[in-house]
Amino acid sequence: MIGSRILLVDDEIIFANNMSKLLTSRGYRVITANNGESAIRELEEKDFDVVVLDLKMPGMDGITTLKEIKKLGLFTETLILTGHGSVDTALEAIKIGAYDYLAKPCEINELVEKIEGAWSKKDDGEKKDMQEKIQRVVESPADAFKLFKKKK
Amino acid sequence: MKKHFFNGNNDSGKYGKTYSKLFRNFTGLTIVCSLIPLLLVGWGINIHYTKFAKSRMINSIQSRVEHHGEIIKLFLEEHSSKLKLLAFTQSKAYLREPAHLQHIFEMMNREHNVITDIGVIDENGRHIAYIGPYDLMDKNYFQTFWFAEAMEKGIYISDMFMGFRKEPHFIIAVTRCEEGQKWILRATVNTQAFRSLVENVKIGKTGEVYLINKDGIFQTSPRFSGNIMETAPFPTGPYHDDVTVNLFKGDNPDASFSNQIMAETWLPNPQWKLVVKQDYSEAFADVNHANFATLIFLHLSAISILIVAVFITKYMISVIKKRDIQAENLNQQLMQAGKLASIGELAAGVAHEINNPLAIILTERQILIDLFGVSKTDDAEFSEQFKASMDQIDVQALRCKTITHNLLRFSRRTQSMIETIDLNQFIQEVIELMEREAKTSGIKFIADLDTSLPPILSDPSQLQQVFLNLINNAIHAHKEKSYGTIRITTRIDETKKGVQITFADTGSGISQKNIEKIFDPFFTTKPVGQGTGLGLSICYTIIKQLGGDIAVKSKINEGTGFTLCLPFDLPAELKESMMAS
Repeated sequence: MIGSRILLVDDEIIFANNMSKLLTSRGYRVITANNGESAIRELEEKDFDVVVLDLKMPGMDGITTLKEIKKLGLFTETLILTGHGSVDTALEAIKIGAYDYLAKPCEINELVEKIEGAWSKKDDGEKKDMQEKIQRVVESPADAFKLFKKKK
Repeated sequence: MKKHFFNGNNDSGKYGKTYSKLFRNFTGLTIVCSLIPLLLVGWGINIHYTKFAKSRMINSIQSRVEHHGEIIKLFLEEHSSKLKLLAFTQSKAYLREPAHLQHIFEMMNREHNVITDIGVIDENGRHIAYIGPYDLMDKNYFQTFWFAEAMEKGIYISDMFMGFRKEPHFIIAVTRCEEGQKWILRATVNTQAFRSLVENVKIGKTGEVYLINKDGIFQTSPRFSGNIMETAPFPTGPYHDDVTVNLFKGDNPDASFSNQIMAETWLPNPQWKLVVKQDYSEAFADVNHANFATLIFLHLSAISILIVAVFITKYMISVIKKRDIQAENLNQQLMQAGKLASIGELAAGVAHEINNPLAIILTERQILIDLFGVSKTDDAEFSEQFKASMDQIDVQALRCKTITHNLLRFSRRTQSMIETIDLNQFIQEVIELMEREAKTSGIKFIADLDTSLPPILSDPSQLQQVFLNLINNAIHAHKEKSYGTIRITTRIDETKKGVQITFADTGSGISQKNIEKIFDPFFTTKPVGQGTGLGLSICYTIIKQLGGDIAVKSKINEGTGFTLCLPFDLPAELKESMMAS
């Protein structure tokens, strides 16, 4: 989806910048983070549609970062992009709640495809959530206020 | 031949010296611990027994001589007494009558013919009466040595002498004084009878008995040493009362006594020495025979112990050798596994480190392609070269990616699914998957599948990887041939504990030198850039992990056969670890 907000987390600065350029030129809005901690900060401050996350990073590694992201309770989907092509780690990440994984190096088109997939899942999730909320508002208007207040 | 058995045969050479040393030590120890005590005890008993038996033998000879001497002494005393009785109970006048003397002579010889003749001699030495075979009537004995002795001593037993009859004989003479006149009753003892009395002792083939007087003259004929009346060639020695036994060994300077046992005793009157002589070897024949038998038995026992010791040691060494080879093989397998594990870790690290720069190269390429798309250049040649270069970067980067992904797969540890697999069906699926590729190389699959094969419990994804790898290799082995076959066989294992799957191709084969290295990671015969050298080492790791075994046989230009053995069930520890995860 053109205009999707992407958070690209990778300790390889050149790779992150290159990817950022490529994705930007394909119409995405990209912000890069070079470690898990700054990724969490960015997520707390801004809204993102998809997080593209490297697994092997110094400090907070990919799996921990993913767990932290999940704790935030966002609709944002996470796509694992890793040089560590180990199926084990990737499967663990998916168990925790990542959307999918992609092994580095990969074609930009492959990545775009996966991002689109992640975006539609996130979109579906949001829509579903919205529908549930509307349903509740219709069924119990008293709760509606609470719901929207909490969101804010 | 199984790969890990290659070095097995060299072990005996490598440890050959150790084994022969071990053999020497074991044999030596057995000899020291069993043979030496046996021989010591055996020899000890033998020596003791010989000593005992010989002393018994000597005692027996001694008592025989003593006994025999006593008999001869009694014989002489008996006949002396008879004559004495006659002389003192009958008068000279009575005895002078030939009829009377004849009667007495006959009475004396009634039982045994022991008296040759009998006569009466007056004080002047004249033979006044005589009964006997010789013509000795009126012979004068006044000058003879015995006449004086008899007149003086009253009773006299002479040594052997020739006398008037010129034959060896001895006499017993008794002197009586009757009315102031002395006269002598004299009898000659039958030499033959006396000799047979003396010599009648049974002492084997080499034994002899004889009497000898103190001047060294034989009184009877010895069997070997001389004749009656001859002087003995050896000294007689002084008179003594005891019975003596002497052993003359081979080292005796006097040859006539060498290797002989000699027992002797002196008779008191006359002073004759009774000698019993026998060859040492004959006297101790029984003892020596028993000794010989004992020693033969002893040494036969020793030899048999030695032989048994050698055989047992040889057997033990062969068992140890076998164990060593097994241990060595196990060691090599462990080393192989360890090598693979450490290479796996290294590979994973390298792969990861290469993937990152590779990813950057690809993104840089993409940026350039993007920019080239929006830039306006009229240079067609540049455009063409640019596109070609970009494509080549992509191709080479992907090649690197394949390598790193293979490396990562190689290093990957278990995280697989256990399923019940119908191997025959599974193999059919793999064949279908590869059939198209094989066909283009002119290769046919032959599936020789055992329909009675029971399903096995294993990891299908890993097995598929192994099968595809082996089939890929088999197809590649036909590169220089225009056609060929890949035969896949399934059978129940001989041990009934698993299945055996064979992939046999008709390809170019593997040389003996290379076959030892084919399971080593990064070993490849393909040109640089075409093979990673990881396929078979991955197969090896996977099959070992699944509790199986992989072996290879190959002949140059005839083909290669890989045999996989897989258990019906997975190893317990693998199952547990999978359950845990």
